[in-house]
Amino acid sequence: MIRFITRRTLGAAVTLVIIAAVTFFLFFAVPADPARLACGKVCPPELLEQARHNLGLDQPLFAQFLAWLTGIFTGRDYEGLGRCPAPCLGFSFVNRAPVWETILDRLPLTVSLTIGAATVFFTFGVATGVVAALRQGRPLDKIASVSSLIGASVQIYFAGTLALYYLVYKNHILRQPKYVPFTEDPVGWLSGLALPWVVLAIIFTANYTRMTRSTMVEQLGEDYVRTARAKGMPGRSVVMRFALRGTMIPIVTIFGVDLGTLIGGAIITEQTFGLQGLGQLSIRAVTNSDLPMLMATVLVAAGAIVVFNIIVDVMYAVIDPRVRLS
Amino acid sequence: MSNPFLSVRDLTVDFHTEDGVVHAVDGLSFDVEKGTTLGIVGESGSGKSVTNLTVLGLHNPETTKISGEIRLDGEELIGAPRSTMERLRGNKVAMIFQDPLTALSPYHTIGRQIGEVYRKHTGASRGESRKRAIEMLTRVGIPQPKTRVDDYPHQFSGGMRQRAMIAMALVCDPDLLIADEPTTALDVTVQAQILDLLKDLQEQMGTSIILITHDLGVVASTVHNVLVMYAGRAVERGTVTEVLGEPRHPYTWGLLASMPHLTSSVDMPLKPVRGTPPSLINVPPGCPFHPRCDYMDLVGGEVCKGERPELSPHRGHGDACYLTLAQKREIHK
Amino acid sequence: MTVRTRSAVAALAIGALALTSACAEGNQGGPATSGGQSGGSSAPAEAYKPASITVGTAEDSKGPAIPPEGVVKGGTVTMIDRNDFAHLDPAQIYVNTEANFNLLIARSLTGYKRVAKGDYKLVGDLATDTGTPSDGGKTWTFTLKDGVKWQDGTPITSEDVKWSMERTFAPFVTQGPAYIQQWLTDVDYKKAYKGPYDGKRLSSIETPDDKTIVYKFTSPHADANYALAMGGYAIVPKAKDTKEKYDKEPFSSGPYIITSHVVDKTVDLERNPHWDPATDPIRGAYPDKWHLEFGLEPLQVTDRLLADSGADQKTFTFYSSTPPERLQQVLDDASLASRRMSSPSPYGNYYYFNLSRMKDAKIRQAVNHAWPSKQIQQVMGGPAAAALPTTILNENTTVGYQPYDLFGKTTKPEGDIEKAKALLKESSDPTPTIVYAYNQTPVQERVTVVIKNALEKAGIKVVAKALDRKTYYDSIGMVKNEFDLYWAGWGSDWPSGSTVLPVIFGPVADGTPNYSHLKDPALTAEMDKITAMTDIEAANAAWMALDKKIQETITPLVVAENRIATMLHGSKVGGAEIDPQQWIVQPNTIFVKP
Repeated sequence: MIRFITRRTLGAAVTLVIIAAVTFFLFFAVPADPARLACGKVCPPELLEQARHNLGLDQPLFAQFLAWLTGIFTGRDYEGLGRCPAPCLGFSFVNRAPVWETILDRLPLTVSLTIGAATVFFTFGVATGVVAALRQGRPLDKIASVSSLIGASVQIYFAGTLALYYLVYKNHILRQPKYVPFTEDPVGWLSGLALPWVVLAIIFTANYTRMTRSTMVEQLGEDYVRTARAKGMPGRSVVMRFALRGTMIPIVTIFGVDLGTLIGGAIITEQTFGLQGLGQLSIRAVTNSDLPMLMATVLVAAGAIVVFNIIVDVMYAVIDPRVRLS
Repeated sequence: MSNPFLSVRDLTVDFHTEDGVVHAVDGLSFDVEKGTTLGIVGESGSGKSVTNLTVLGLHNPETTKISGEIRLDGEELIGAPRSTMERLRGNKVAMIFQDPLTALSPYHTIGRQIGEVYRKHTGASRGESRKRAIEMLTRVGIPQPKTRVDDYPHQFSGGMRQRAMIAMALVCDPDLLIADEPTTALDVTVQAQILDLLKDLQEQMGTSIILITHDLGVVASTVHNVLVMYAGRAVERGTVTEVLGEPRHPYTWGLLASMPHLTSSVDMPLKPVRGTPPSLINVPPGCPFHPRCDYMDLVGGEVCKGERPELSPHRGHGDACYLTLAQKREIHK
Repeated sequence: MTVRTRSAVAALAIGALALTSACAEGNQGGPATSGGQSGGSSAPAEAYKPASITVGTAEDSKGPAIPPEGVVKGGTVTMIDRNDFAHLDPAQIYVNTEANFNLLIARSLTGYKRVAKGDYKLVGDLATDTGTPSDGGKTWTFTLKDGVKWQDGTPITSEDVKWSMERTFAPFVTQGPAYIQQWLTDVDYKKAYKGPYDGKRLSSIETPDDKTIVYKFTSPHADANYALAMGGYAIVPKAKDTKEKYDKEPFSSGPYIITSHVVDKTVDLERNPHWDPATDPIRGAYPDKWHLEFGLEPLQVTDRLLADSGADQKTFTFYSSTPPERLQQVLDDASLASRRMSSPSPYGNYYYFNLSRMKDAKIRQAVNHAWPSKQIQQVMGGPAAAALPTTILNENTTVGYQPYDLFGKTTKPEGDIEKAKALLKESSDPTPTIVYAYNQTPVQERVTVVIKNALEKAGIKVVAKALDRKTYYDSIGMVKNEFDLYWAGWGSDWPSGSTVLPVIFGPVADGTPNYSHLKDPALTAEMDKITAMTDIEAANAAWMALDKKIQETITPLVVAENRIATMLHGSKVGGAEIDPQQWIVQPNTIFVKP
C-alpha cells in the first residue's frame, strides 16, 4: 500500500508539472498581452516594454517557466518586491500581491464550501438513491427520480439568485451568505454557508441519487446479497452492509472527481453568492491575464483532482479487498 | 412414515413481468423426510430453483404471487411474517448456491461471513463465532483453517469456496439444507468431493437435503428420492432406484438419453430432448410436454392436448403421463 | 501634446460601471439592456442638466468641505463592489475607481470640490489655491497650506510633492497619467529622466522653501491645475517611499488610514488623526469607519441594495450599476426614488469613419443623417439607459460646453432618410457600400441589425463584420484596416477638449486612438494654437467651436449613443451622488444615518 501511494504521488507530481507547463505555454499562445494591462491608458511601446520587463515577461519563455518551477521549491527574489519564500508561486501581475498568500486566504472558504456541500449531496443523494432502489417502481422511487432530474437541470445562477432573492433579500429567512472561519464561530460558519451548500447540493445530489439507485438495484440482484438474505441477515443489514458496500465503488469514483473539481473552485456558486474562493480567483486570473495567479489556481485545481484520484484508488482498496490484494 | 419434515402442497408461483405472467410453479407437491435427500431434476427454467427460493421466502414480494402450502416441521411458511423467515433462514433452513464466487460477498472475510450467521441466530460473541467459523472450516476440510478464516473468497479456490459456503450453511446445524446446483461450477473431481462431503455431513448431523440439479449422475450417487420437474410441474416422482431404474415419463426418458453412461458404447450418439423448453408465460395446454413428446400417437394426440395429466399414483413412484404402464414399460426397456 | 495611447484597461471593466476616469471604455456589457421597448418611460421625467465646473478661488480652497444636507458624523459605512483596487500607489493610478478610493487616503495639489448637486469647483487641495501661472503659462507656482500632515503627524512639504512627481518617472511605474511628466521634460519622458532613486533630481521642479513648489514646463499649459487634480498626481511621502511595495502599503495624507486589506476581498479604514478637516475643502470624511467588500457581481449588489435589509441599509456601491435584468424594476419602483441615482457616461463614444477609405464627406454626412439613434437607444434599453449626444465633446466633462445639432438628432432621432438620400445624390456614389466592423457582443449584434436596416433604407449597403472581443481594438487600430466604420470611445482626463480632440485627431499610427485617420495640417495647427493659449476660458471656448467645425467641415465620425448608469444606495446612506465627471459615487459627501 505504501509503495502504491508513493508511486502514485510521484506520478501525480509529474502530472502537475505537465499541466503547469501546458497552462504556461498555452497562456502565451493567446494574443492578449498581460503587460498591456499593467501599462494603463497611456502606453507607448517603450512603456509597454518596461511593463513587460517589470513582470519578467521579457525573459525567454522557457527560462520564465523554469524560474517559476524552481521558485516553488527554493523561493524567489523579486526586484523591488522582495523575497517570495517557498512555495513561491510568484506575485500577481495585477496587484503584485504574493499569489500563495492569496490562495491560502481563499482556500478555507473553498474547502468549507466543498465539505459542506459534499456532505449534503453525498448523504442526501445516497439516501434517496437507496430508498428509490428499495422502492423500485413505487411512487417514492418516481418522486426521487423526477426531483433529481429537475435538480440536475437547474442552473446554479438561476436557483442561487432565486434563493437569494426570496430567502435572503425579500423574506429574510436566511442570512446573506458569508464565510466565517469555523474555528472562530462554528455557528456563523454553518449559517453563513448553509444556502450555498444547499444550492450547490441540489445540482450534485441528482447524480448520486441516480448512480446509487441503479447500482443498488444491480447489487440487490447480486448472488451474495441473496446469500446474505438466505443466511437470515435482517433486511437493514443486508442493504447497509452488503448491497451498499458494492454500491459505494462507483459512488466513490464520482465523489472523488466532484470533490476535486469543487476544491478547484465552484466558480458559478461563488459568483452567485459573492463568496471569495478559489473559483473567483481563477476566473479573475483569466479575465485579467494574470499569469501567476492563473498558474496557481490551475495548479491547486489540478492538484486537488490528482490527490482525490489517489484517495479514490485507496478507497477502492479499502472497500474492495480484491483490489487491495491484486 | 411420520410427518415429513418439509411438506409442500399445491404450490403455485406466478411472477409479473413486463412480458406477462410467468407461471413458474404450477400446483407442485412434494415431501422431504428427515435425514433424507430429495433430488429435484429438470432443465433450466423448469421451476426448480424458484420452488426452493420460495421455501426460504427469498422471492420478490412485489412481483410474486404464491398459493398453496409450505410446511416446515409443521410451521406454515407462506404468509409468515418477515421476522419468522429471518429466524428460520440460515438457522433451520440453509441454502447453498450454484456459484460460490458470486454467492459469497467479496467484501467480507470468509470467517466473518460464516461467523455472522452464527452470531445472528445464537447471539454468540464475536470471539465465539470466530471459533465456530474455524471449527466449521475444519469440518468441511479447509486446510489451515485458523489462517484461512481471515481470507477473502477470492483468495480461495473454487472447491474451497464451495466448502466455505457449505460451512456457512451448516454453521447453525440446520434441519434442512437446500443445495442449488452446488457442483455445477466445479470441476469433476471437486464435484465428487463436495457431494461426498454433503453425504458425510448428512450422516453426522441428520440434515435433510434438497439437491437441485440437472445432472442425473449427481442424483444417482447422492439422493434418496427424486422429483423430475418440467414447466413448473412435477412429471415424475419416486425413489432414486425407481426413477432411474424404471423411468416412466417420456421427459425422464429424454433426460436419461441425453446423458452419457459409463456403460453405453462410445459410438452411441447422445440424444438430447427434441425441441426447446416451453415459455412459462404461455404454457402449452394439456400435458406441457406434448409438443416435444414422441409418443403422443400412442395415446391419441387430442388427449395429451386436452386435459393436464395428474401425477399418479398419489404415493410412491408416480408420473404424469397418459401412456399406460404397459406402454411405458414397452417403450423403456 | 502627443498622447499615443490605446485602450486595454477597458477589459478590466466587463459588466461593471466604467473603470477608467479617462480611458476609452469598451461598449460591451454594461447597463445597456437587451430588453428593447419602454426604457424609462416611467422614470421621473426630469431634464438632465450637465455638471457645471468652474475654477474656485483661494477662499473656496479653504476647509472644511461643504456638508451635504442632513449630514451626520460617525458610524461605519459599507461599500460593496466587484473588484478590489489593483493599485494604491498614486503613481500607478489612472483608473477612476482607484482614483476615487484614493481620495480617502491621499491628497493632491488640486481637486474638485462639490458645491451643490451638479456644481463643482476646481480648488486647491494641499495648495492654498489652484496655482499661479506665469511666463505665459510655462511656470506654475503652488503654495502648500499650513497644517497639512502625513498620518504620522509629520508635515507635508514641497519636497514630498516634488518627490511624488519625480518617482513617477521610475521604471517600475508603468501606469498613471503622463501629461505633467511630458510637459516637464519631453514626450519620451522616461528616457529624459529615470526617477529620483539614484540620487538625481529633476531640475524643472523647484522647491524654494518647504511650502512652495514651482513647475517649469517646456511649453505653456493653461490647464496644468486641472491636470494636477488627476488621481495619478496624488502625493507619496519621500520618507516612507518603498517603491514597488508602496502599492501595498500606502502612507496616508487623507482622512483615513487602511487598517486591513485582504486582496480582492476587503479593505477597512479608520480615521487618520492627523488629517485636519479645516485644511480640506474637498473631503467631508463623515463616517468613522469604512468597510469595503469585493467580489460581488452587479446583480448581487443591486439585489442587496434593493432589499435594503439590516446592515445593507448602511451600504452603497462605488460603481456597480443596475444590470439590464433589474433596470426596469429599479426604474419603475417609486419607493426607490430617494435611493436611486443615475448619470450619463462622461465619455465620448463614436462611430469613426475610416477616412482612408471613405473619402467623400457627403456620404459621411448622409450616414449621419440616416443614423437610427432612437432605434439604437431602444436596443440599449430606452431613454433611461442611453442618451443621444450630438457633439464630439461630452457635455459632462467639458467646461464651456455649447450644444449643437448638425444632423437633426434631436428633431429626427430615428434618422432622416430623405435628407440622406438627397446628400447621396450629390455625392460621388449615390448607392455606396460600407463595411461596418463591430465588437461581437449580444447587444452589438442587435445594434448592428438596426444600423444596417436604417442605412439600407437610404440606399447605403452595409456589410457587417463581426470582430472578436479580445482583439477588437487591435483590429480597428490598424491603420490599414479593411473597414469603413467602427465604434470606439475616448474619455477626457479633465473637463476640457484639450485631452480629447488632440488625441482622437492626433498622430495616425497603428494602435493610436485616431481611428478615423484624420490628418489635416490646418486642423493640427489650430489644435496646437488652442493648446498654447494661456487664457483657459478662451481655450475651452475654442475647443468647443472646433468640435462643431470638425463635424461640419470634415464629419469624421458619427456621435454614438451614451449609456446612462442607474445605481442604488442603502436607505441609511446619505450624500451618495454619482460624480458626473468620474461616473462613480464619490466618497467625499457620504455619511451614515443612525
